[in-house]
Amino acid sequence: MGNPIVFDRESEMPDLPLSQGDMEWNKTGTWRTQRPFYENKTSPCNAACPAGNDVVSFILRAGEGDFEGAWNLLREENPFPGVCGRVCFHPCETKCNRSSFDEPIAIHALERFVSDFAAQLPGRKIEGPKPLRVPKKRKEKVAIIGAGPAGMTCAYHLARLFYDVTVFESLPFTGGLLRTGIPSYRLPREVLDREIAAIEALGVKIKTGVPVGPAMRMEDLKDFGAIFVSAGAHRSRRLRIPGERGRQVLNGLHFLQTIHLGEEVEVGQRVAVIGGGNTAIDVARCLIRMGRRPIVLYRRTRDEMPAFEEEVLEALEEGVEFQFLVNPIRIREGKNQKELECVRMRLAERDETGRRKPVPIGGSSFVIEVDSVIVAAGEEPDLSFLPRGVKKREGLVLTRAGGSTNVARLFAGGDFASRERTVAHAIGSGKRSAVAIDGYLRGEDPERILQSLIVGDGPSISVFPFFHGEGPSRNPHVVRFEELNLDYFEKAKRQSETKHPLAERVKGFFEIRSALSEKAALEEAGRCFHCGTCDECGNCYTFCPDAAVRREGKSICHEVDYDFCKGCGICFVECPRRAISLREEAR
Amino acid sequence: MKRIITGNQAVAYGVMLSHVDLIAAYPITPQTTIVEELSELCARGRLKAQFLKVESEHSALAACIGASTGGLRTFTATSSHGLAYMHEMLHWASGGRLPIVLVNVNRALGPGWNIWNDQTDSLSQRDTGWIQLYCEKNQEVLDTILQAYRIAESLSLPVMVVLDAFVLSHTSEAVDIPSEEKVEGFLPPFASPNTLDPQRPGAYSGITPPEYYLEFRYKIQKAMEEVPEVACTVNQEFKNRFGRGYDLVERYGKKEARVLLVTSGAVTSTARWVIRRMTEEGKDVGGLKVKMIRPFPCEEIKEAIRGVEKVAVIDRNLSLGVGGILAQELRACLYHQEKKPPVFGFVAGLGGRDITPEVIEEAIEYTLRRSRPESDLLWLGLKR
Repeated sequence: MGNPIVFDRESEMPDLPLSQGDMEWNKTGTWRTQRPFYENKTSPCNAACPAGNDVVSFILRAGEGDFEGAWNLLREENPFPGVCGRVCFHPCETKCNRSSFDEPIAIHALERFVSDFAAQLPGRKIEGPKPLRVPKKRKEKVAIIGAGPAGMTCAYHLARLFYDVTVFESLPFTGGLLRTGIPSYRLPREVLDREIAAIEALGVKIKTGVPVGPAMRMEDLKDFGAIFVSAGAHRSRRLRIPGERGRQVLNGLHFLQTIHLGEEVEVGQRVAVIGGGNTAIDVARCLIRMGRRPIVLYRRTRDEMPAFEEEVLEALEEGVEFQFLVNPIRIREGKNQKELECVRMRLAERDETGRRKPVPIGGSSFVIEVDSVIVAAGEEPDLSFLPRGVKKREGLVLTRAGGSTNVARLFAGGDFASRERTVAHAIGSGKRSAVAIDGYLRGEDPERILQSLIVGDGPSISVFPFFHGEGPSRNPHVVRFEELNLDYFEKAKRQSETKHPLAERVKGFFEIRSALSEKAALEEAGRCFHCGTCDECGNCYTFCPDAAVRREGKSICHEVDYDFCKGCGICFVECPRRAISLREEAR
Repeated sequence: MKRIITGNQAVAYGVMLSHVDLIAAYPITPQTTIVEELSELCARGRLKAQFLKVESEHSALAACIGASTGGLRTFTATSSHGLAYMHEMLHWASGGRLPIVLVNVNRALGPGWNIWNDQTDSLSQRDTGWIQLYCEKNQEVLDTILQAYRIAESLSLPVMVVLDAFVLSHTSEAVDIPSEEKVEGFLPPFASPNTLDPQRPGAYSGITPPEYYLEFRYKIQKAMEEVPEVACTVNQEFKNRFGRGYDLVERYGKKEARVLLVTSGAVTSTARWVIRRMTEEGKDVGGLKVKMIRPFPCEEIKEAIRGVEKVAVIDRNLSLGVGGILAQELRACLYHQEKKPPVFGFVAGLGGRDITPEVIEEAIEYTLRRSRPESDLLWLGLKR
């Protein structure tokens, strides 16, 4: 305290008590029983992304209008934002906290917008990692079998870690199912081409038309320190019914591959498509675009269909017919058409997958007359080329989280090693394996490294801290809707991509959806709660009654001045997004 | 420009014309339409003020205190329980010598829960160091807001402008809304004697030890004692500019009347009508309107009462255990007079019961009939 001022009479005194000294001597922090601190936590979208995208960070950046920065952030985790923004089933949106408030953020639309925006920038270059502990060039070579999303993602991250990577692809082109399976009305080929070209630009060598087999056996890959097998699941499951090998009974994946390569397919007018997965839906929608009349036959109900809901809805819009609880039992040649004999099914108790098992209803058989039948009843990987001694279970290679098998040097991932067969899962798998292979080659425990990079409850990982040696690291706690302070949010309409009119879109294979406008993208990004991530809204600074929140210019320092913080918890409560934590003071 | 507006709208226009910088308020009936109107004016850009939504009346006044200390012209409005909730901050504002203007729309305190007209809420706060100005008509409401900022900022004291629930707040009258230019000539921008300067940190209203506290109170009291003179000057200037004004106390009716009826607030309008009629009937009665109750304008009242034989007061308020508050103030004021007229202290209209001409007439008749009141507290309209 300063020297006391002495007044002799009231006329010398001011009108009100005013101390010109300061109160800094009064360290009110000693009163504290609980301590606030800045701690970013995990958003539900990040936790839900099978590819391990840092969704909240890229949206935050996009919301600031820095779309290129947003794109770079996306590519820290995933080389395929343009692909994912279009074809991913976006579990991030299903988990978005905003859906408990009004509608979820259109994350997929933002991801697509950002990648399309970046694609139009002149002279853009791919930012490599800023290596902290990685030597410039690593001597080890890594082989990757299969140039689909898992293999290319693994190649991408390994190349960023300066490994010498070679991708072997059996088909004459890259992309795997992205090219052979997904129709161009969902994923234009130029988007795929530009994202694969960007991976190649990092120095990844790609050898197409090189199937593993007599010409190149696994055993021949001796020069490689590690091999990642991501050969996909291309072997169609058979129906095992009479007539399946007859004329005009086609295989769904093969059908899609043929038409996507622009080759002619001979297929009749009325086509039965057997199956309820994404392949069946893609086949049916392609048939509509070819002027045919498809009917999808599925042995369970619509609720059990593994196909993405949105795809099913669009298929219905476009005029695809469906028959549920129907199972084909025989294919015969009729007079003019094929006779597809089916039985009606009913759902019995749940099976091991949790779905109710379909069982035939006796005496219910009937015939559907069609010109062609396309079977899309699921796919399995072809494991025949694997070296002897690789452990398998139920038609899949046994792998640990990082894709390592029981055989040294051999890793596997993507559809080849998993039943979760989505693009995002494949990308996540490729990324985990890249980190695991790097750990393996450096003689470290890959599983331990992966564990340290886990997002939320896993199994997805974020490689940003691995590559950069620092942030954005987050507490794995996934922020719940109830933890947000909703006083700071207003209801706002979800921005959506426009779709081409139905009448037009069934006539061709051009992309159905148009990207968001820049204005809509900004608005949509602006709706994001940024669950668990500080966006410098400044509430903590504004509300702190002790001026104990530090700020430099306009930016929050994310430091609390514990000399004066009384631990009132106002910052914790007024933080709209739980980016501040509170713990009991240890004394 | 004349418009037909309610008392609450008159408040809002007064605040708008005063170019207030910050409004902080919390809704309570019958005040709410004041801040509703102000929020509209802010939203439309007619009033360039910060409109602060707060979580309570306590915070509303606290926000005004902070802003006023920082040199802004501030406003808040409340009623009844809201004002009671502000009680601590009322002291803080006057002790901090902050020229805040607050409008209180008189409303009875619960329980029983009641939203109607009663002055006990504002008069309960008479010892908090706020100047209190009571209004009779909507025009007076608007004009008093303009005068209130002048008085407040001249003496660094807060002012409470008071109007009756519903009788004024929600009742429309023709009100002349002066032009901005005309008001600007009367009410200059607020030049605060205090300036908060981050370069020169300081603590306002900090701890004050026993050796100085008394002196600070003395200085507030001295400022309070200056209020009547300053208010008269401000009113005179207002009259010159706008052609109308409001005395702190106003004697009306027959000049030489020996019985005087004292009222404050909107009931005065009814009293004027009753007194005019009774005077025509040959009754010896006049009226006195008291506009300012804090500081109590004792000298002005003594002057107005000179020669009067009996004083009747109708209080629409009650200090439980004593009686009507205005009557008590009057008795205290007249105590040292050589010739003291007896004060007939009537209490009427609590909780919004109408004070009709008949009620007023009953009080006057009672006073005319008797030389002294039967007791210090006389109830009007009580259902015994």
